[in-house]
Amino acid sequence: MLETLPQALVTGVLLGGLYAIIGIGMSLIFGIMKLTNIAHGDIMILSTFLTMFITQNLTGNPIIGLLLTIVIMMFFAVGIQKFLINKVITKGAEPALLVTFGLSIIISNALFLAFGANTQTIQSPLVSMNLIRTENVSVSMMYMVSFLVAVAVIVVLTLVMNKTSFGRAIRAASSDTVMSELLGVNTKRMYVFAMMLTVVTASIAGMLVGMTFPFYPTTGTQYLIIAFGVVVIGGMGSLPGTLVGGIILGLAQLVGANFIGPTYQQLIGFIVLLVILAIRPQGLLSKAVRK
Amino acid sequence: MSSVFNKIKDNVTEGVRENQEDAIKRGAGAGKRTILIWGIAIIVLVTVPTYAGDYVLNVMILMLLYMALGQMWNLLGGYAGLVSLGQQSFIGIGGYALAIVSQKYGLPALLAFGIAAGVSVVFALVISIPIFKMQGVYFTIGTWIVSECLALWFSTWAWANYAQGYNITITYQMTATHIYYVALAIGVGSLIVVFFILRSRLGLALMAMRDNESAAEVRGVELYRTKLKCFLISACVTGVAGAGIYLQQAFIQPTNAFGISWTVSMVFMVVIGGLGTVEGPIIGAVIYVVLRQVLYNFPGISMVILGIIAIAIILLAPKGIMGIFGRRVTIDIFSVRRK
Repeated sequence: MLETLPQALVTGVLLGGLYAIIGIGMSLIFGIMKLTNIAHGDIMILSTFLTMFITQNLTGNPIIGLLLTIVIMMFFAVGIQKFLINKVITKGAEPALLVTFGLSIIISNALFLAFGANTQTIQSPLVSMNLIRTENVSVSMMYMVSFLVAVAVIVVLTLVMNKTSFGRAIRAASSDTVMSELLGVNTKRMYVFAMMLTVVTASIAGMLVGMTFPFYPTTGTQYLIIAFGVVVIGGMGSLPGTLVGGIILGLAQLVGANFIGPTYQQLIGFIVLLVILAIRPQGLLSKAVRK
Repeated sequence: MSSVFNKIKDNVTEGVRENQEDAIKRGAGAGKRTILIWGIAIIVLVTVPTYAGDYVLNVMILMLLYMALGQMWNLLGGYAGLVSLGQQSFIGIGGYALAIVSQKYGLPALLAFGIAAGVSVVFALVISIPIFKMQGVYFTIGTWIVSECLALWFSTWAWANYAQGYNITITYQMTATHIYYVALAIGVGSLIVVFFILRSRLGLALMAMRDNESAAEVRGVELYRTKLKCFLISACVTGVAGAGIYLQQAFIQPTNAFGISWTVSMVFMVVIGGLGTVEGPIIGAVIYVVLRQVLYNFPGISMVILGIIAIAIILLAPKGIMGIFGRRVTIDIFSVRRK
């Protein structure tokens, strides 16, 4: 147990990076339009399937596959945001929540129709490579790449949000809809941009997930819960919080599995999540909201 | 001058009295009509097994049980403002109560329904301690995570036969008619529960909360206790309905029993029928079960169609079918709404 602990710690932190990038999109959507996107996991898995399909049938290179996927997913994002979510976003929390709920069912079942229930993977040479390999600890190349990509995406997004006028407009739209409309910000258009940003991160996450773990049409729900967990621990709408949330969840799962047994890995993750929620209901890094 | 004034006064009071009498007459008429509708409905429902075949009976069983589930989700989401995605916790608990009591220990099924109700309430009470600290969307997520924990826990629990679950063979000793009467009792029971809640002090508090939470609190409604009562009642009935559902399904297994698709169907029914109305879940359950039976022949695509219908209804009629009805005709079978 103790001798395997360093490995659990290393893998936990690195897996946390992957979890963080899964959760970023969810955090963005919540932070900007106060919407809990139930379809987030399925949107990510949709992009995973697209990347797999394009890579296998057209390009052979997953990076080009990812770029094409991002282009397709951006059109998809504009479609669902403009014609579905924007229509109900002003009518309170439940209708928008239910629209994403409907989307989630449609996406996962459409994937099932198109690809069948079989377990799929995206082939990648990274999976079998090790960055460091010693007696006690080995660092998988795949996990390391996921972690670094996650950090890079978070840094870039934070810079975009804080330093550019586009980011300022988005933040204005999220903090005071009426005032920013008066100052000439088209909030609904900002929501469309936010959804596009979200699917970009979801596509990147989708490719990494597809390379790291096997996936099938209904895995979306599983990743939705992970995204929830990450965002809830880190605090809804806080970008650096996502990374902290991811690492805490990853560590909780792996360290718990190390001491109690691998079958309990997910269960321990969820229990830690519930405990954190009960102690700090607004998340670790988010400021308390005054009502 | 004063006589003219008195005459006008008399006329006015006369008019007021006539209006009042009219209202009383209309009220009495509505009462008679309600009793009539109820009477016919009960006679039809009780006598269904005498003239309907097994297929119709099974469809009716599903409608009644799903209606009970819808009513309970509506009680939380439509009245108490607690949007839960974790009602499947109680369906699973109810189903497992039935499986373990009847299959593992060979005890009578009736006992299982009592245990389903009891365990659901106790579990809801325990889980409410952390869950009720969360608000809004965090509550929604928290309830779901609790269900996922249960699914994972039951998959690794020897006492619940791991992920294999149980075959519930007691079902084969019963006919569809037996199960139908169980479902009828649960369905009508859930209606009666909702009806009496909404007519009681608790109901008044709920409506006040639904309309304006802060104002209700200032006026002395204890938000926490009111919500907790709703949560417990809804857990209890959902648990019993869960046992009923697995009595018909005859097979239970953790990922199915604690799966999110149960709550998906509840939300679907309530939203389609009309959130925050008693009639909504009834209409929703009928539509949902009929749709599911029709789409049964198109596996795969059926869920896609359900999703599209749900989205279309939210976009076109955000208040559901009752919302469309409510504006044009006033059918008030359940006069529980205090406007």
